[in-house]
Amino acid sequence: MLRAAALFLLSLSLALPASAQQADAPIQQLLQTHSEILLKSSRSTIGPAVDALAGSGLPEAQVVLERWQNKEMWVDEESGLFVFAEEIDRDTLRIFDFADGTEIAVVPDDTFDQLKPNSGIRRMIGTALVQFQLSDPNPANRATALDAIERGAEESHLAALRASIPSEENAALKQRKERLERLLTIRFAEDTSERIAAIEHFDGDLGVDVRAALNPLLAVRVEAAETLPEDPDIGRTLEPGSEDLSRDEAYALLVSAELAQPRISRDDKRAALIANIDGDAVAGIQVATLDTEAARDMAYAALAEQGTVEAVATEAEVDKRLANHVFFERFVGAPPEVVAAAQLALAGIENKVAVNQMFDLSLDALSLASIYFLAAIGLAISFGVMGVINMAHGEFIMMGAYTGYVVQLFIPDYTLSIIVAIPLAFMVTFGAGVAMERLVIRWLYHRPLETLLATFGISIALQQIAKNIFGTQARPLTAPAWLDGSWVINDIVSISYIRIAIFVLALLFLALFLFVMNRTRLGLEVRAVTQNPRMAASMGINPDKINMLTFGFGSGIAGIAGVAIGLYAKVTSEMGSDYIVQSFMTVVVGGVGNIWGTLLGATMVGFLQKGIEWFNPSNTLAAQTYMILFIILFIQFRPKGIIALKGRAAEA
Amino acid sequence: MSMKLLSSTAAAALALSTLPAFAQDASCPVKVGVLHSLSGTMAISETTLKDTMEMLIDIQNEKGGLLGCEIEAVVVDPASDWPLFAEKARELLTVQEVDVIFGSWTSVSRKSALPVLEELNGLMFYPVQYEGEESSKNVFYTGAAPNQQAIPATDYFLEELEVEKFALLGTDYVYPRTTNNILESYLQDKGIAEEDIFVNYTPFGHSDWSKIVADVVALGADGKKVGVISTINGDANIGFYKELAAAGISADDIPVVAFSVGEEELSGLDTTNLVGHLAAWNYFQSADTEANEEWVTAWKARMGDDRVTNDPMEAHYIGFNMWVNAVTEAGTTDVDAVRTAMYGQEFPNLTGGTAVMLPNHHLSKPVLIGEIQEDGQFDIISETDPVPGDAWTDFLPESAVLKSDWAELGCGMYNTETSTCVQIKSNY
Repeated sequence: MLRAAALFLLSLSLALPASAQQADAPIQQLLQTHSEILLKSSRSTIGPAVDALAGSGLPEAQVVLERWQNKEMWVDEESGLFVFAEEIDRDTLRIFDFADGTEIAVVPDDTFDQLKPNSGIRRMIGTALVQFQLSDPNPANRATALDAIERGAEESHLAALRASIPSEENAALKQRKERLERLLTIRFAEDTSERIAAIEHFDGDLGVDVRAALNPLLAVRVEAAETLPEDPDIGRTLEPGSEDLSRDEAYALLVSAELAQPRISRDDKRAALIANIDGDAVAGIQVATLDTEAARDMAYAALAEQGTVEAVATEAEVDKRLANHVFFERFVGAPPEVVAAAQLALAGIENKVAVNQMFDLSLDALSLASIYFLAAIGLAISFGVMGVINMAHGEFIMMGAYTGYVVQLFIPDYTLSIIVAIPLAFMVTFGAGVAMERLVIRWLYHRPLETLLATFGISIALQQIAKNIFGTQARPLTAPAWLDGSWVINDIVSISYIRIAIFVLALLFLALFLFVMNRTRLGLEVRAVTQNPRMAASMGINPDKINMLTFGFGSGIAGIAGVAIGLYAKVTSEMGSDYIVQSFMTVVVGGVGNIWGTLLGATMVGFLQKGIEWFNPSNTLAAQTYMILFIILFIQFRPKGIIALKGRAAEA
Repeated sequence: MSMKLLSSTAAAALALSTLPAFAQDASCPVKVGVLHSLSGTMAISETTLKDTMEMLIDIQNEKGGLLGCEIEAVVVDPASDWPLFAEKARELLTVQEVDVIFGSWTSVSRKSALPVLEELNGLMFYPVQYEGEESSKNVFYTGAAPNQQAIPATDYFLEELEVEKFALLGTDYVYPRTTNNILESYLQDKGIAEEDIFVNYTPFGHSDWSKIVADVVALGADGKKVGVISTINGDANIGFYKELAAAGISADDIPVVAFSVGEEELSGLDTTNLVGHLAAWNYFQSADTEANEEWVTAWKARMGDDRVTNDPMEAHYIGFNMWVNAVTEAGTTDVDAVRTAMYGQEFPNLTGGTAVMLPNHHLSKPVLIGEIQEDGQFDIISETDPVPGDAWTDFLPESAVLKSDWAELGCGMYNTETSTCVQIKSNY
């Protein structure tokens, strides 16, 4: 308490002379003149303050702008003076002198207000800072300037950018600068041939920024004339009443170009007529005869002739006018030659974009397929090989994911923790699977309905247990930094590294599964037991033990799938139920009892889902509904799935 | 037999006629029903509110209770099962005979409990931002109506961030769909062309966001600034934000404003890649006021240091305190008396300023817009003056003519054009 008081006194004694000094500085005075809009902090009004600072020529201007952008500028409510400050804790500030950046004092923040420029204002400040940063010795600052140009380019940037290119030493930055220079040339250059050259340079470039620069050049204005002009900047002609130009819009265009008289709505016309009833007639026409639209039009025209109402067009006139005129688009975004070049470039780009989008979607589908495959592979073993309908399969996935989360609590290094988590998740879920087989499923073999109910019950119980232990909030399972971000092939085709990792993991497990089933003693015994348990038993194989191990193996793989899914999505107690339907679908579509079937099933489900999303981008939910419908149909025609077991194994 | 029946009926009738008198003055303890899911999908959000109510009640009891009585919380678990909300509300009102209910999160659960509340003349405080288009005599809506969250956030996008193209992403249920309908018509009023509004709905818990995020990025191809308005609810947000971060989308390029993402939801996420994305609420934990500091400290002391506070908690804080003041004013917990005393009740917000209960059963509260920070908290960058909550939005033609005024007109669905009350019950 005493310390705080002393601190306060100290700050008072220090702050007073300091603020007096600050108040005289030209930069402070400049800010004071714009104090009101600075405090209001709204993008629509802040412009003059940013411009004044940037154009002030004061040496501190750059620092002030940068600090302001970083939310380090505060205002003293009492004196109205601006200072730099950093927060020491919730209630105390360390304030700095504006001009030379020396520390003034440590003060309580009660009388200080932080200026918080929103991202719109920060973008404006960034744009203003470009002139200072473009040739800054620090490459990071130059990169910031380029970011700012990308986000909010101005005409003045073009000259500054061009001037800074020759002296640029950093190769990567130089490349960015050159690309930006061309983009700005397209948008702002005076010289047509320069612009066309820049456009041609981008031929086939997939960048969104290129399309964003080219598309505005093709802006059109719809115009109307009696005959189509021969000008070079005329685009399409439009038919009134077509999708692009409704009749009402077309006529409104004619009216605004003063090529036709305005129209009046029926209600307004009626109101005008009623207002002008004179005795029992309107403009000399008996009210009783005004029972058709044509008659009312006539009466209104008569009124217009008398000058009591504004003359308007009738329906027939509208038709005539529309027929008499042509409607066309005129390019207003750029001179005709530039437009032609842009159209050509865009046409090429768009074809390439379509191809690449297709490719991107296929990558997405492949990645989704690998996730489904990972989720389903365990089920393919327990359901496919052993015929056990395990509704708690999803909960094994969840268990694996929570194992990953717990491991991360103890091992802070993300790479190491994932490496530890994968075998640990296998062990935990293997154990859980074996326990479940021993305690429950063993007693219910060949009673699928009871198995289904029992495992469903277990699934609910496991979910609630997870909720009790880990709480209801989603838990983070963070991928190592080297899995952050995406593999960007071009601006359209990219896939996040985490999905690639899952894909690789899926391949690994396919290989592991094949190896275990085909090359090991366990695999041989599993195949023997599933084909004919009694025969296998008489050959000295213990079917009980094999069943237990098989089930544990399937559960263990589900646990590893859980780690992978947790990395890319989320870890909650309900995550398992999100995958159980898809997993069963995959196994059923693929064909029971065959790993290749599961692989094909996952591929089909993944591609199908993405394919339907492609057609129906506004509703992902509908996409899933269509998919389930399709799968029901598919099962009607191939009840045993894509790859059906044949021969004696099928009957077992 | 018949004699016995008769006498018991008579006794019941007698009991019924005398009961209100009892309930008004001397029914200690005062019972507060808490109707929040403690299991199932919504437990993730609603358990926190149950804890909030228990804390508020404890604080009030320390201050000496209410009307000289101890307040007792009656907690039931409707288990995220919508029809069960009706059953549990009935149980609270008829078996437990609570004086007021605080509860519900999703709109569908509120709609399920409404008929029971109206039939038994109960009183419920609903603390979550919702889609509006409703005003029940028996419910006080302490969360934000669309004009207290969605519309100001959209204005912020239009005016401050100069967004010209909108992606409205939502989870597929009543709140996002209604909100997006309102926003679509609002944006079109503001001159945004229909083709510049991209709408997408995904199921609860959706996790595969790559295609949708790619679609949103592709919207920028015509050189217009793109912004995302997210009404994505619950767990699905985690996958969505992860995909955004993986795609390297900075908030400076494509800002995302969320209406259902608060401190609680962010606590399950690594927010380093989300810095700068936005949320609109009436409360953020980072609000720099003394009342809030006290509240956050009390909450952390009770629940643990890693727990955060959020907007619906503040709604319960305001709602509960207003109810306490209204009961004290009325001198009784009788529903009709309390309801009348509620109108015009004022209580300080945790973010500064004062919330006022309006006759349409909504609050007048300021709207805050916050940017996500690295520590999972929000930096408040914009705060409006208090906005009166509007039960019927002005941006859908069919509800623009409606208004709600229970104090003067005694009607929650009043048609101002025909000057008639459309209906009293809110079974629409």
